[in-house]
Amino acid sequence: MESAQKKDVPVVTVLDPKFKYEVAREPGGENIKYCFQCGTCTSGCKVAEFDSKYNPRKIIRMVILGMRERVLSGDFIWLCATCYTCHERCPQDVRIPEVMNALKNIAVREGYIHPAFRAQAELIAGYGRLYEVDELANEKRTDWGLTEIPQGCPEVAEIYGITGLADLLSGGAGGKL
Amino acid sequence: MPSMLQDTGFDARIGVYVCHCGLNIAGVVDVEAVRESARFLEGVVVVRDNRYTCSEVGQKGIADDIKEFMLNRVVIASCSPRLHEKTFRTLLEKSGLNPHLLEMANIREHCSWVHYDNHEAATEKAKGLVHSSVARARLLQPLSRTKGRVVPEVMVVGGGVAGISASLYLGGMGIKTYLVEREPSIGGHMAMLDKTFPTLDCSLCILSPKMVEVAECENIKVLSYSEIEKVEGQVGDFRVQVRRKPRYVNEEKCVGCGDCVAKCPVKVKDDFNRNMGTRKAIYIPFPQAIPPAYVIDDQNCRYLTQGKCKICQAVCERGAIEYDQTSYVETIEVGAIIVATGFQPYDPRGLPQYGYGRFPNVITSLDFERLICADGPTYGKLKRPGDSQVPKRVAFIQCVGSRSVASGCRGYGLDAETGSSVGATDPKAYCSRVCCMITAKQAFMVKEKYPDAEVYVYYIDMRTAGKGFEEFYQRGRHEGIVFLRGKPGEIEERDDGCLRIISEDLDSGCILDLCFDMVVLAQGLTPPDGLVEFAQKMNLSRSEDGFLMEGHPKLRPAETAIDGIYLAGCVQFPKDIPDSVAQAGAAAAAAAVTCSKESIEIDPLGPVIDEALCIGCKLCEMLCPYGAIKVELTDKGPKAKSIEVACKGCGVCGASCSTRAITMKHYTDSQLTAQAKAILEVV
Repeated sequence: MESAQKKDVPVVTVLDPKFKYEVAREPGGENIKYCFQCGTCTSGCKVAEFDSKYNPRKIIRMVILGMRERVLSGDFIWLCATCYTCHERCPQDVRIPEVMNALKNIAVREGYIHPAFRAQAELIAGYGRLYEVDELANEKRTDWGLTEIPQGCPEVAEIYGITGLADLLSGGAGGKL
Repeated sequence: MPSMLQDTGFDARIGVYVCHCGLNIAGVVDVEAVRESARFLEGVVVVRDNRYTCSEVGQKGIADDIKEFMLNRVVIASCSPRLHEKTFRTLLEKSGLNPHLLEMANIREHCSWVHYDNHEAATEKAKGLVHSSVARARLLQPLSRTKGRVVPEVMVVGGGVAGISASLYLGGMGIKTYLVEREPSIGGHMAMLDKTFPTLDCSLCILSPKMVEVAECENIKVLSYSEIEKVEGQVGDFRVQVRRKPRYVNEEKCVGCGDCVAKCPVKVKDDFNRNMGTRKAIYIPFPQAIPPAYVIDDQNCRYLTQGKCKICQAVCERGAIEYDQTSYVETIEVGAIIVATGFQPYDPRGLPQYGYGRFPNVITSLDFERLICADGPTYGKLKRPGDSQVPKRVAFIQCVGSRSVASGCRGYGLDAETGSSVGATDPKAYCSRVCCMITAKQAFMVKEKYPDAEVYVYYIDMRTAGKGFEEFYQRGRHEGIVFLRGKPGEIEERDDGCLRIISEDLDSGCILDLCFDMVVLAQGLTPPDGLVEFAQKMNLSRSEDGFLMEGHPKLRPAETAIDGIYLAGCVQFPKDIPDSVAQAGAAAAAAAVTCSKESIEIDPLGPVIDEALCIGCKLCEMLCPYGAIKVELTDKGPKAKSIEVACKGCGVCGASCSTRAITMKHYTDSQLTAQAKAILEVV
């Protein structure tokens, strides 16, 4: 089937009609079914201006149609810059950045994690923050009369364990993207 | 014989009829179980279920039972009493029973329709409703209706095309009609339009003959520059207080020569021309105004604000200028009222991303009408407000203020002049219905006047349902208007005054980044200014959208829940001119039916006051929303007295009476208590 088609015209034969309800149940996705495809979100989207891969209207359309795999496995849902311009303007109050968060949460549970986010998650697991605090920084802090910052943060790792994020990261779940 | 049957000294003999309403009720509620549960209730002699109780067969069955079983109370478990109470009351009356010995249990709207997903619970609830109705029916008392007089005259509120049409229909039937308009002239928004869709008729050319007809019809009295202050009474007998604002010009003497305008030294913004262009402090809104008399704007007149000038009085040869006019209240008695107060265009300052009020070349549909109108501020030349240039590229944006469930201005909309936060309203969830065709018409008019102009229309959906509408829209496409599916997020003003719009063109999949000389916002239609207070004065309900609620969405579209008050035009919901005129005709016919009656039967639902218990505390008088109960001094001290004609039977007095001296007829304490107890027993 795939080979017979031109590469840039995707032909979809199977839709998952339950996907839109699944997204609507996820925190942030509640209003997705209000979308009437007016295009206001994409009109003002700064990311869409730079990269046509990210088109919030089309992503929502694909969710409503039920293209579950295509949406969750795509890297486009990770591209939203969460500037909330579309959120402010959407006449149907779809709350698009939060829909993207809902989609990301579902995607992660399904084993799709964008490599950039995986890298960030691993950094936070190790250091408790996005960057390593080196000895020089702590020396300076001591000079200024500030307390030292611990270099690791085992509590965060513990949270990862409790929430199941550690399993998702280590179980090879992120490997799909 | 019938009077003996309904004598309350007799034991109650009740017939219970449970209706299937096809599958409306029977599809959810186990009708047989409900019927059987009522069989052995106290006083019940016969129980039946019918597929359609309201049908001829169903009604005949009840009539036969009344005779055969000597019934003296009837309980019908079916739909809302709003639909069929009248039907069954008439049936009881024909069968020799007092019509108030009927009790209806609403097991459709209050039960099967709302509990469609739980059949068992719905059946239990239906049983409870039927049991409570039986309990109340046992205690029902026969009541006699009173007759009210009918004043065979009508008041039409609002002088737009709907009000004008309704008045002409009524005047033509020989019914004396008062047409009340708050502006100095009748005509409404239609008088501000240049052309109408889809025929491109000149709007005033078709409206002004009707306005002249109103002025000449001897049955119609126009009360311009007037507002409704208070409404009392009921169907057939309303007393309306109308506040007449001072024109400062004697309507009878003024011939509209215009000498006063030529000499008046005060220039102000012309509100009829949407504040584009100027007028004088003494003015006539437009040349075809009815009444054709001038009016002095007392906020701006030099004499009325500063005490000196009087130039207009000096130049008026007919002595029509009367500075000493004051506002006064006139009380008018009518039998029916038609409300036709129209709409208010949405103020796009509520959506600051489009820059209306900040960018001079962003205008609204109504601004456009004045700009392109021969009688407008630019004499029909489409000069953009920013620099009076004729735009070469014009964009229209649809659904501005319509089709949006999100709130608009979230606190950052600032007024260009005052810098203060704009109190503009949120956009509305509904489709305003006329904007697509207004834009199709205006885009066409741009092309017609300036064939070289580029015209673009940004839309979500084009809705062109109506006679000749789709054809007109296609004609526009043929003329070269470009329709772009995709709503822009914002308008940006460049340094050279051009307006930049970025949008997604859904049909090509491209992002379009285009510049325009002028942008027209297709503003939605919202409920008119002051409708909330007006509805309160008239005791009318509003729908969720803010417009006035009709009597029934399908079958009584020109009526209201209040007998004798009717609706016409956009005050009920946005509609175009032919629909407004059609509804005006329906409202006029309904009002004429009311006025043609010799008297009107009034439901006897008022309070009965036990003077022995009343202590004259005046609580009821203070709480009554209709001024229908007053405490008067009698030889036994101060006592409450009911004013029957004003009473609407709301029951506030009965509920609030501290000594229980007030009993509401047909809703007595014992009836309601019995009803509540019975339903609690089932639950």
